[in-house]
Amino acid sequence: MSWLPFAHALAARQDLPIPAWLFAWGASIVLIVSFFALSVGWREPRFEGDRWRPLGAAGWRALTGLPAQIFCGAIGVFLLGVAVYAGLRGTEAPDRNFALTFLFVTCWLGFPLFSVLLGDVFRPFNPWRAIGRLAGAGFAALAGQRPTHLRYPERLGRWPAAIGLVAFVWLEIVYGVSGGVSVGLAPQSAAVAALVYTAYTLTMMALFGTERWCRNGEVFSVYFGMFSQLGAFAVEDGRLGRRRPLAAAPRWASVPGSAAVVIASIATTSFDGASEGAFLGALEWTFERFVDAELGLTAALRLTDTIFIGLCIAGVALVYLIGVWGMSTVEGAPPLRKLWTGFAHTLIPIAFAYLLAHYFSLFVFQEQAQFTYLLSDPLGTGTTDLFGTASSGIDFQLLSADAIWYFQVGALVIGHVVALTLAHDRATAYWGDYRQAARSQYWMLAVMVAFTCFGLYLLSVANS
Amino acid sequence: MKNPIKIAVVLLALAASIVLVACGSSGDETTTESATTAQTTGKEARSGYGKQKQAPAVTTTAIVVRDGEPVGGVRELEYSAGDEVEFSVRSDVADEIHLHGYDLSKDVAAGGSVSFSFPAEIEGIFEVELEQRGTQIAELRVNP
Repeated sequence: MSWLPFAHALAARQDLPIPAWLFAWGASIVLIVSFFALSVGWREPRFEGDRWRPLGAAGWRALTGLPAQIFCGAIGVFLLGVAVYAGLRGTEAPDRNFALTFLFVTCWLGFPLFSVLLGDVFRPFNPWRAIGRLAGAGFAALAGQRPTHLRYPERLGRWPAAIGLVAFVWLEIVYGVSGGVSVGLAPQSAAVAALVYTAYTLTMMALFGTERWCRNGEVFSVYFGMFSQLGAFAVEDGRLGRRRPLAAAPRWASVPGSAAVVIASIATTSFDGASEGAFLGALEWTFERFVDAELGLTAALRLTDTIFIGLCIAGVALVYLIGVWGMSTVEGAPPLRKLWTGFAHTLIPIAFAYLLAHYFSLFVFQEQAQFTYLLSDPLGTGTTDLFGTASSGIDFQLLSADAIWYFQVGALVIGHVVALTLAHDRATAYWGDYRQAARSQYWMLAVMVAFTCFGLYLLSVANS
Repeated sequence: MKNPIKIAVVLLALAASIVLVACGSSGDETTTESATTAQTTGKEARSGYGKQKQAPAVTTTAIVVRDGEPVGGVRELEYSAGDEVEFSVRSDVADEIHLHGYDLSKDVAAGGSVSFSFPAEIEGIFEVELEQRGTQIAELRVNP
């Protein structure tokens, strides 16, 4: 069954697997770095106190002022509208329609990247937050009082976002595939999904309040916000400021369900990578069983993928649980539950590294399409040329296979180092005794090595 | 390094990495071997792994499409960057043969045949499709 379509709908080019020698070097560097980290560990936490300082100049203040907020919000709403319109009215060809590349590449992959570099840039552009705030302001003006909301159940925490994250990826890479034909998610389906999500989000915002829902339940705010914790820039009390990179991350996971968000992120990226190689045999075997059981091809394929995404989530959660359990056996350890939440943020760099490793080339190539023909001809009808770039294409020679390989391995190794740094720092804060802290970190080290080497392994067998 | 345990740990890491790299290079040898086998059997053309540039090997692969499906499944075409890619498609259905990435396409009539010949300039993996049916008939791999 070699015709099984697991290819990305958009990618006209797929990455070659990283060669065996590079896999070996990558894994070796990971091991050396890890053992070295054990011997140079610092004894006092360095990232726990988040010292945020505002950027003083007036120019920076204009960036976060009300006119800028209105401007960014309007852009966000406009672009969401363009994507939905293009999805509904544009061509069925996934690669020629503005909607798919914009939603699944430009936003879904672009915001994590820019969140790490520049802070939570999604927040001002979030179209649903803009609509919610506008509605709230309108209500206040008409009724003469601020809208009242239901109390958000605190125990629910970020769980709605974690579930939404899995649902989004499921829509992208499971629902999108259809038996026998290498066509991914149809632009129309993406547009309808965006409309359904808009209705759901606005309802939730009306019930619980716009900002409250953005903090807990709005999938994209929570997901992109998670990555922004790694970066140096943040807005607090309406002012843009700077902090030590990574310093915000330790506070992030204190909300329930945060561990689920980061685990879901790692697991779904793993599934996408593994379905190109590591799991291919198992996927085909399961798929054939379902076809034998007289399920339709599409249903069999979706069911197979759904089961394996579930297995990935369980697997990632189990590896993390083993690490957390191991730490809890070290003398002076806090309770298991506190450790589970307390170390969740140390997986954010791993999640980011997985994203970079798996989607870097797709992002670079597809963004060329985004800013040339998709911008000039968003519907893909071949009849419009808004900016004169409708006939430009993607230059696939921009990145050589070597460049992609080194970037992928480099991202995983750096993500590994940052994850170890955060874990060590948290351990020094939790264990008063430095020796016990170091001992607890053998366990987290094993967890990180497992994730990083698994990531390298996925790259080495993908499309091989 | 004052602690003997730390020194032991670092030595252990070095030993582990040497083992890993050794495994990696042995894996590399097998790849080279299989590549040579592929060359001698003449299944697919690819230039060697060595530094000296060989003359681009030219072997035409013929892909046959029957009832809108590739005979014998999706064909794998493997080349090294710089080689001349040559393949032909004979089809019993009228369609458009499209090579993604390189973005080359030619119409084929029912019972007709088209051939492609171009330098392998872009590294990566690309699909060859019957564009109207959306059926993949071959996969082009260009290694660096």
